[in-house]
Amino acid sequence: MPSSRPVLHAERLSKKVTSGERTLTILHELSLSVAAGESVAILGKSGAGKSTLLGLLAGLDTPSDGELRLFGQPLSRLDEDGRAALRAGRVGFVFQNFQLLPTLSALENVLLPLELSPRAGEDQMAKSWLAKVGLEERIDHLPKQLSGGEQQRVAIARAFVTDPELVFADEPTGNLDADTGAQIIDLLFTLNREAGTTLILVTHDHALARRCDRCLQLDQGRLMPFASSDFNAAGGGQ
Amino acid sequence: MSDIPWRLAARSLKRDLRSADVRALFVALVLAVAASTMIAFFLDRLERGLERQAGQMLGGDLVLEQRSPFSDALRTTLEEAGFTLSDQVGLVSMISLGDRFQPASLKAVDDVYPHYGVSRVDLGQGTEQIAFGPSAGEAWADPRLAELIEIELGDRVQVGQTELTITGIVEREADQSGGFGNFNPRLMLNTADLEATGLVQDGSRVEFELLAAGPPQALDQVQELLGELRREGVEVRDVRVDRPQLGNALQRADSYLGLAGLAAVLLAGVAVAMSARRYVERHLDTAALLRCFGASQQQLVILFSIQLIGLALIASFIGALLGLAGQAVLLRLLASFFPMTLPPPGVTPLWLGILTALAVLVGFAGPTLLRIKQVSALKVLRRELDPMPPAAWLVVAVAAIVFGGLLWLYSGSLPLAIALLLGGAVLLGALWGVSALLLNAVLHGIKKITGTGEWSQALRLGARQLARRRQAGVGQLLAFSVTFFAMAMIVLVRGDLLSTWQAQLPDDTPNYFAINIQPSERDAFEQAVAPRVDTQSTLYPMVRGRITAINEQSPRDVVPEDARGDGSLRRELNLTWQAELPEGNQVVAGEWFSSETPMNEPQGWLGAVDATPQAEIVPISVEEGLARRLGLALNDTMTFSVGGDELTTRITSLRSLNWDSFKPNFFVIFPPGVLEQFGHSYITAFHLSDEEQGLIRQLVSDFPGVSLLNVDAILGQVRDVLAQVTRAIELVLLLVLLAGISVLYAALTASQPVRAHESGLLRVFGAGNRMISRIQGAEYALLGFASGLMGAVLAEVATAALYIYWLDLTPRLHITLWLTLPLGGALLIGVIGHALSRGLRRQAPAASLGLLGEA
Repeated sequence: MPSSRPVLHAERLSKKVTSGERTLTILHELSLSVAAGESVAILGKSGAGKSTLLGLLAGLDTPSDGELRLFGQPLSRLDEDGRAALRAGRVGFVFQNFQLLPTLSALENVLLPLELSPRAGEDQMAKSWLAKVGLEERIDHLPKQLSGGEQQRVAIARAFVTDPELVFADEPTGNLDADTGAQIIDLLFTLNREAGTTLILVTHDHALARRCDRCLQLDQGRLMPFASSDFNAAGGGQ
Repeated sequence: MSDIPWRLAARSLKRDLRSADVRALFVALVLAVAASTMIAFFLDRLERGLERQAGQMLGGDLVLEQRSPFSDALRTTLEEAGFTLSDQVGLVSMISLGDRFQPASLKAVDDVYPHYGVSRVDLGQGTEQIAFGPSAGEAWADPRLAELIEIELGDRVQVGQTELTITGIVEREADQSGGFGNFNPRLMLNTADLEATGLVQDGSRVEFELLAAGPPQALDQVQELLGELRREGVEVRDVRVDRPQLGNALQRADSYLGLAGLAAVLLAGVAVAMSARRYVERHLDTAALLRCFGASQQQLVILFSIQLIGLALIASFIGALLGLAGQAVLLRLLASFFPMTLPPPGVTPLWLGILTALAVLVGFAGPTLLRIKQVSALKVLRRELDPMPPAAWLVVAVAAIVFGGLLWLYSGSLPLAIALLLGGAVLLGALWGVSALLLNAVLHGIKKITGTGEWSQALRLGARQLARRRQAGVGQLLAFSVTFFAMAMIVLVRGDLLSTWQAQLPDDTPNYFAINIQPSERDAFEQAVAPRVDTQSTLYPMVRGRITAINEQSPRDVVPEDARGDGSLRRELNLTWQAELPEGNQVVAGEWFSSETPMNEPQGWLGAVDATPQAEIVPISVEEGLARRLGLALNDTMTFSVGGDELTTRITSLRSLNWDSFKPNFFVIFPPGVLEQFGHSYITAFHLSDEEQGLIRQLVSDFPGVSLLNVDAILGQVRDVLAQVTRAIELVLLLVLLAGISVLYAALTASQPVRAHESGLLRVFGAGNRMISRIQGAEYALLGFASGLMGAVLAEVATAALYIYWLDLTPRLHITLWLTLPLGGALLIGVIGHALSRGLRRQAPAASLGLLGEA
C-alpha cells in the first residue's frame, strides 16, 4: 500500500523549446506528487509530451520553470552529474525499444547498472532476476538472439536488479504484440508489487493504465485526472 | 560512484573486439607500434653496427696520432676510462732484399693488434683470416712489395739496421688506417723490432698512433681530454665523427627509415581518428544508458578510457612483438654487413612503441572520445539528441600537437619538430580549404554529365550522395589524401634514393687507382690503359705541398683550436692544377678560375714563386669541408711549401665534392701555370673488367714505379651495404603501404552505417542492386580521384622539401605521379569500398534502415 511520503514531487513544471523566434510550450505548469509504493499512469496521445515529462521527472532533462524534488532532493540544485548520482541504484527504467546493449549478453545487460556501483554477489542477483522473468535458460544470449518479449523481460530484470525505489516505464508494450504485451504487463506489475517499488508509467494504452493505482492524462501540455468512469482518480492530480 | 567499472570495461572491450571499427582501430595501432618499434630497433642496431664498422676501419673507437710517443699519463687516463690500448708506428723507409731496394710504408703493430676485425694473410697455407699481427723478428709484405723486390716467404729483408723474416703476404689489413695516403707498398712488423731498426730517431718522420677500443661511455668520459689534445696538435679520430666510406648513403638510408616510420605512425593516426569516430557514435547509446543508470561524466570517461588504453596496450604488445620479429628480418638482410654479433636489442624501443600507441590514441582519438562525456541521458528517450561532434580544428590541433611530440621524440630535434609541425599545420589548413574547393569542383563537373546511361546516372547520384555529406566527405577526402600522400612520398623517395645510389656507383665505377705516374710515362701509360678499360678518370697531375701559413700567420694560431691536430696541417697535401672544374665538383662560393687566367704564358703565375712583394697572388679553389674545418673563407690567403719554395695563394672559390665517388679528389686545386715547374706525378682511376685483369701484371712490369691500388673490395662492400639497406627499405615500404591500407579500411568501415541507410532507402524507392552498386562505386571512385589528385600535390611539394632540406638530393617533378595517383586512387577506393559495401547491399532494406538506430 502507498505510504504518504512523496518519492517524487513536482511543482509548476514547465518545458519550453525555442525554435527560431517561436517559443513552443510543451509542458505547462504541471504539478504532481507520487507517494512511495504508488503506481501512477500518465496517459496521452502520440506527441502529447509524455516522453518529455518522463525525462523531466527522471531528472534526465531540466525544466524551463518549476521545481522538482526526487527522493526529497530539489533537482534544480544538482548538476547533471549530481542528478545521475541521485538516480544510481535508486531508479530503474523500462523503455519502449528495450535499450539493451547489442554486444552484451542478457546477463551482462542486467549486470550493467550493478557494475556502476559494485556490490557483493551481483552475478547471483542478476541471475535470480533473470530467473524471475523466466529467462534462466537464456542468460548467455545476445539481444539479437532474443524475441521482442524476451528482450523486454531482460530490460525489466535490469530495471529491478538494483532494488530501486522508483521505476519509470516508457510505453513498455509499445513495440510488442497484444499477447506478449499482456504478459509483460503482468510481469511488471507482479514484480512491482512484490518489491514494493514506486512505478511511474507513461503509455497511450488504457488497459495498461487501468492497472495503476492512479491515472493522469497529459493533454495540450497540461496534466489532469483521467476522466473515465471505469476507474477513479485517487486524488492528488491536477 | 567513484568506483572504477573495471569489469564492465573489460567485458565491453572483449565484446567490442568483434566490431569492425574496433578491429580497424586495433589494426591501425598494431601497425603504428610495429612500424615504430621495428624501425627504432633496427636503427639502434644499425647505428651500433656502423660504429663497429667505422671502428674497424679506423683501427679502434678512438685513434690518436702525433709525431712523438704518447705519454704514460695519457695511457693511464685512457685505460682508467675503460679503453684497451694498442700502439702503432708508421714511417717510410727503404727496405732491401739482396740488391733490390724499394721504399716501403712501414707499419709497426703491437701484440694487441687488431682491436676489431681480421686481416687476410697468406702465411704459407693460402690466404686465411687472422686476428693478430707479425711477431717479433717477423714481417709481412703486401703483394705489391713482394712483386717489386721478388720476396718469397722465409726471405730475410733488411729494414734499417736489422733483418726481419718475411712470414706472411698480407692481402688486406684488418684496419685501413693508412688510406690512400700511403702510396708506397706496405711492410708490417712488430713494434718490438722498431728499436733494432734504428729508424725511429729525433727528427725522423714517424707517426705514432695510439688506438683505443672501448664502450661509448668511455668515449663520453674523455671528450674534454680529446678537446685538449686537439688543441695541442694531436690528430684525433673519433669513431662517431670520422666514419670512413658509406657516410652519405647510409645517412640517407637512416633518414629514410626514420621518415618511413613517421609516415606509418601518421597513417595509423589517421586510421585511429577515423575509427574513433565510428566507435564513439556506436557507443553514444551505451553512454546515454549508463547516464540513465546514474553514471557520472567522469565514470564514463574512465570507462571508455580503460577500454581504449587496454586496447592500446594489447595492440602495443602485439605490435612490439611484430616489430621485434621485423627487425630480426631486417637484421638478417643486413647480416653480412655486420662484422660480428651485436648485443641483443634493448628495451627502449619497446617503451617507445607503447608510448607511440598511447600517444596516437590520445592525439588522434582524444577529442572525439570526449564527445561520449557530453552525451545526455535524455538520449534514451529521444534518439536524435546526439552531442555535437568535436570541432574539426580541435581534432586536427590535438593530433598535430601529439604528432609533433612524436616527431620530437623520434628526431631528437625540437626545432625540426616545431618547423615540421608548423609547416604541417599550415599545409593542413590549406588542405582543408582546397579539399572543400576540389570536392565542389568535382561535384560541379559531374552535374554537367547529362547522359542517360546507367553509368552517367550512377555518377550523378554518387556525386549527389557525396555532396549531401559534404562535411564527412571533406573529412574522408582529407584522410585519403594524407594516406595517398604518405604512401606516394615513401615510394617516390625510395625510387629517387635508389637511383641516386645507382648513379653514384654505376657498374663502371673505377676499381683501380694508378698513382705515381711520372710525366715521362704519362703518354705510354695512357696508351696502355685506354683501350682496355671501361672508364677512366682524367689524369690529374699531383704535387705534394704543406700548408705553412694562413693569412700570413702560423696555421696553428689561426685555425679553430680543435683543428690544430688536423691531418691537413700535419701532412703534405696532394695539390693539383686544372683549367676546368673537375667532374662531380660544384663551386659553392666564389668563382672558378676565369678564362683570362694566363695559363700558358711562360711567366704566368710564376711571379708568385719569386715571392716578391709585387707578385700577384695565385688564386686557388679549396674543398668546402676542409675550409670549414680550418675556418677558411673566400679571400683568405694560404701559403704552401712546395719543393722548398713558398707559394702564396688566395682562396677564390670553395668546392663541394663527393668523397664516395671512387675518383681522385683534391682538397686544393691550382690554376694551370703554377705547379708545373715542380716535380710532379700523375694519378688516375679506371674500371677494369674481370676479363682484363691481365693488364695489371703488364702494367706492373712495364711501369714498375707506378702504384696500382685495387679498391674492388671496398667498392664491393659499399655496393653490398647499399643492396642490403635497399632491401631493408623495401620491407619498411611494405609496412607503410599496409598502414595505408589500414586507413582505407578504417575510413570505409566508419562510413558503412550511413551508406547502409542510404542504400536501404534507395532500395525502398525501387533501385535495383546493380544500380545501387554502381552508385556506391561511383561515389567511392570520385572520392578516390579527388584524394589522389590532392595526394599528388602534397607528395610533390613535401618530397621537394625533403630532398632539399633533409636528404640532400636534387628535387625533380614526378609526372607519372600526377596520372597514377588520381586514377589509382579512384580504382583503389572504388574497388575496396565497393567490395566492403557488398554485405550491406545484400541486406534487406528493413535491416539496413534499422542499422543506424542501433546502439
